[in-house]
Parts: sequence; structure tokens; C-alpha cells
Amino acid sequence: MAEVVLNNVTRRYGDVTALDNVSMTIPDGAFVVLLGPTGAGKTTTLRMVSGLEAPDQGEVFIGGQSMNGLTPAQRNVAMVFQQYSLYPHLTVRENLAFPMKSPLLKTPADIIEKKVKDVAEILQIAHKLDNKATALSGGEMQRVSIGRALVRDPSVYLMDEPLSSLDAKLRSDLRIELKSIQANSGATLLYVTHDQIEAMTMATHVGVLDEGKLVQFGSPREIYEDPVSVYAASRLGQPRINILPADLFGHAPTGAKSIGLRPEQIEQGSGADSIVSRVEHLGDQTRLHLNFRNHDIITVTDAHTELKAGDIVAIQPKNPFFFDASGARQR
Amino acid sequence: MANPVTAAAKATPEPVAQKIRGLSDRTIAWIFVAPTIFLLLAVNIFPLIWTIRLSFTNYRVNRPNNDVEWVGLRNYERILNDPDIWSTMQATAHFLIWTIVLQVLIGFTLAYLINKKFKGNDLWTTIIVFPMMLSPAVVGNFWTFLYQPQIGLFNYVVAFFTGADPSSFSMIGDVNLAPWAIVIADTWMWTPFVMLICLAGLRSIPDSIYEAAECDRASKWRQFWTITIPMALPFLMLAVLFRGIENFKMFDLVVQLTGGGPGNITTLTSIDLKREAFEKWRTGYSSAYAVILFVTVFGLAAIYVKALNKVKER
Repeated sequence: MAEVVLNNVTRRYGDVTALDNVSMTIPDGAFVVLLGPTGAGKTTTLRMVSGLEAPDQGEVFIGGQSMNGLTPAQRNVAMVFQQYSLYPHLTVRENLAFPMKSPLLKTPADIIEKKVKDVAEILQIAHKLDNKATALSGGEMQRVSIGRALVRDPSVYLMDEPLSSLDAKLRSDLRIELKSIQANSGATLLYVTHDQIEAMTMATHVGVLDEGKLVQFGSPREIYEDPVSVYAASRLGQPRINILPADLFGHAPTGAKSIGLRPEQIEQGSGADSIVSRVEHLGDQTRLHLNFRNHDIITVTDAHTELKAGDIVAIQPKNPFFFDASGARQR
Repeated sequence: MANPVTAAAKATPEPVAQKIRGLSDRTIAWIFVAPTIFLLLAVNIFPLIWTIRLSFTNYRVNRPNNDVEWVGLRNYERILNDPDIWSTMQATAHFLIWTIVLQVLIGFTLAYLINKKFKGNDLWTTIIVFPMMLSPAVVGNFWTFLYQPQIGLFNYVVAFFTGADPSSFSMIGDVNLAPWAIVIADTWMWTPFVMLICLAGLRSIPDSIYEAAECDRASKWRQFWTITIPMALPFLMLAVLFRGIENFKMFDLVVQLTGGGPGNITTLTSIDLKREAFEKWRTGYSSAYAVILFVTVFGLAAIYVKALNKVKER
């Protein structure tokens, strides 16, 4: 396992700048999640680290060594692809054994067999070992694809939305499983996702990407509690942060254009009145859709609330975020 | 309210509409399929059955007034015991095997090279595909010039590399060389076709599988044998099937190039059959000949398609 450093990495595809001067340090043993919408440069970052593509400018270091011009094999990276990329004419067992059968390794057959079994057990695909890779469901293919990385002992794991096509139950099982594998082995893991729950629960660090730029890098708590911009604040938190005109609740700092309120930054029971437009009971919590001076606000309230649509609730901000016209945070 | 659908239905004249209303969906389906079925029966199935019937007679189409005698299996016996026919079969087998081997090897190699991302590969594809757009008769003519001992380009090139005298050998006139002359010409013409099919196969393999193999530290050699070949194999087999069937009935190119000679050395079965049927007018006899060829091709193709499906399932 090793530390991974990106140093001023830029990558262009024609006129599009997929990565714009990105620098980040992924500490040894860290679980780094890259967040951002489609086209933010998450997958490109993975490809730069993997060596499948070379940066136009800048450099990637793994374990302190420059990876300039080295192939994925030489970098010893394991990658889980979004499209699964299984070897279709091979069985699940052969797919899982494939990386260990590299002539570089000379792994004995019984060790291969044991590892394949262990990994299949963890990923709940042991009963499918003799199936052809093409005879699997999307979720099963995705698990085989994760397994193909886990059988290895690489310098860094790279995973591109590895849980995206699993059902909710399996997804939460594997979230815990992946996190514990990573924590126990001390593996360095770079992980791309859209899913903020994955980011919040697994990451030691989160990198927020916006149109090829790294806008914030820190622990999930840091990004949640101390976002640098509207964009970064919108990445984490459910329900999403409410972004409203800065002066909606009265005076605002000079230069502030908008106010950001997470549910816990909205105090209920005091302040100005708002009308409840909808109540969503989710079981463990209840979402409250409010209308405040013709602006929609979503917050959470007590799971057993008696409130219903049409009721009046007084609200006021508590330690809100203020953002300027460019979307940057005002401190 | 005028609903557009009912409006359209109303446009059908009432007497016709009444008739149609009485028909079940199944009947209507039959009405639509009937012309096709009739055509198929008329131009495929009927001639086939008629040929089989004629194959048991001594009928000659140029003597329609002669009495037709029922000869049983005699035509078949004569064909299977005729050494000349076995030698045309041998010539056909030689032609088939070598054209397929060469076209698949060269076609796949070309496809593999063209599939690499380089500038102008589309242009190269167009250039390479050119021969198969020509008429086989033109290609045959073309190669008679190339093979011409005194002025032919082919002889000149061979001479250039071997140092032999270009006019010392004749590809078409020599009994030993003529079978290769037709193999080379056919390969020149149809390798592009095999290449196109292989190219389709290679393009169907997603890049990300190679990328995964790259990360899994598989060498290029291992990637070729564990990804490229197995995934392109169904396409390769399809190319073999197409070329096999096509060349089993090879006629025009070879007739134009060698006319079946020298002697009978490049007389392929379809050329021989045509002579029996439409030069010697032995209709009954050539019908039996055609039936034998039909059963052979059909049997081989059936076995082959079964194997192909098995490969596809993997």
C-alpha cells in the first residue's frame, strides 16, 4: 500500500478540459471518495492514477515514485470499472483468478483457489462460481468485478461507482464490507461515486470535483460542516441544503447573495411563520416541506410529528452559511 | 366526436369492411404471408423436388420428345464411381481449404492491424475493400493479365524476389500451378470480405475489457489469446461459413481465369455440373449430380452451424 499524490494534473479531450490543474494527496491507507456530477472529472482522475491514460501536464506519484510513462501493470493498481468489464467467455471463478494468474506473480494454485473462495464468500457470489460471466445479473457482474480487484494486493485500489447497480440491501451490506476490508488491510482506496451516503459512511477523505477542478478536499464532516461553496455544500446532506436569498430572514452580511440552511440550521418553534406544504414520513425521520415567503424549504422534524399540510410553523436560521455572488462561502 | 382511428376505418368501403370483419387475425396473417410462401414454393421448393425426381430418370432436356425412362439409382451409381468426378471434388476441396485458410489468416491479420487506432485507417479500409466490389468476371480477366508470363505483373514480382526468369513459368498453363492461380486470385478478391467480418468482431470487444486486463497485468500476448481470439471466434467462424458456401459454388472467376484447365485440373464441381447439364444436356444425370452436391453442402453447413452456435453460447 502506498501514498498517492497528484501534482498539478491537467487532462484535455479536444476542447474539453476534463481535469484542470488538480493536486491532491491521498495518504497511505486512506479511503478517498471523489464526489461530483457526471463530467466533473472523477473517472478521469482514476484513469490518470491507473496509467490507462497519461496526463497532459503534471505528474502522478505512487509511494513517492513518479509514475510518468509507467503502465497500469507496472504501477500495480487494481481497478473496478463502471462497465464491469468481465471476461465474458470465462466463468466467475476464472474471472476472479485471472489477475492472480499473471506470470509476474507465480501464485500457487491452492492459494488462488482459497482467495477466490474467500472473496466470493464476502461478495455473496460463492454459489455462482461456475457460471459464465455472461449468465449473471448486473449486480452479480458488478460484484465479480469488485472481487477481481479484491483478490489482489495492489498499491492502490481504484473503484469507479462499484456499487451503483446493486439493490439497496446489498449495497449497504457491501458498503460495510468494503469499508472493513479497507480498514483491516490498510489499503489505499480511491473511490468514485454519485452516492453521498457512500461518501459519508466510507470515506476518510472526500474530494469534491467541479468541472475538472478540485474545489474541496477534506474529511466528510469537514465538507459537511464547513463547505467552501454552494457547490460543495450541495454535494453532501440529505435532504439537500436549502439555498435561499440572503436577506430572506432579515439582515445579511454585506456581499452575501444567498444563505445556506441545512435542516439542523433551521430552528423550529421561533422566528417567522411558514406554512407546511407537505409532510413525508420516512420512518426514522419526517421531512417537512415548508413554504416561507414564497420560497420552498425542506427540513426534517420529529418522526412522530403531528404536523400536517396547512399548519403554521415558525422558523429561524441558526448559524447559517452565507455565500457571495460567485457561490463562494463568506466567513 | 370524430376519432381519427374510426374515421380511417370508415374510409374502407362498407362491402369490403364487412368481409374483413368476418376474418380472424390468423386468417388475415395467412393472407399476408401467402404471396411469399407461394413464391418460395414456386422458385425454391418445386425445382428442388423436380430435380430429385429427374435424377432418377434418363431425361434430356434437348430431346423433349424422347421417351423418359425410369432408371432408379443408376445415375447416382455412375457419378459416385466416376474417377473424373472425384478429381473435380478433389480440385474443389483443394480450392476451398486453401482459400479459407489464406483468407481467414490474412483477413484477420489485416483486421487486427486496421483496428489499431491510427490516422487514416478508414481510408485504408476503403482501399482494402476495393477488390470485392469488382465483378468476378472482371477480376478473372484482370488476373489472366497479371499471370501472363511475358508481360504479367505477377510473374515479374515473383521473378524479382526469386531471381527466376518471369517467362519460365505460367500460372495458368502449368498443371501444378493452376490450382494455386485460382486460390491466389480468389484470396485477393475475397480477403477484404473476411477482414470486414473480423473487423466487426474486433470492434465488438469493448476497450474497457482490455483496460481491465491491462490493470490485471495480462501481457499483450495473453490478452490476445484470452480476450481477442475467444471473443472474435464466432465472427471468424461466420466468415468461414460464408466463404465456404460461396466457394463451393465458385464458377465465374475460375471460368474466366482458367476455363477449368489445363486439362481438367481446375474444373471445380459447379463448372463440371454446368457442362454436364447445359453442354452435354444430360439432364437426369446432372440432376443426380446436383442432388449429391446439395446434400453435401447442406450436411456440412448444418454440422458447422451447430458448432458455431456452441461457440456463441460460451
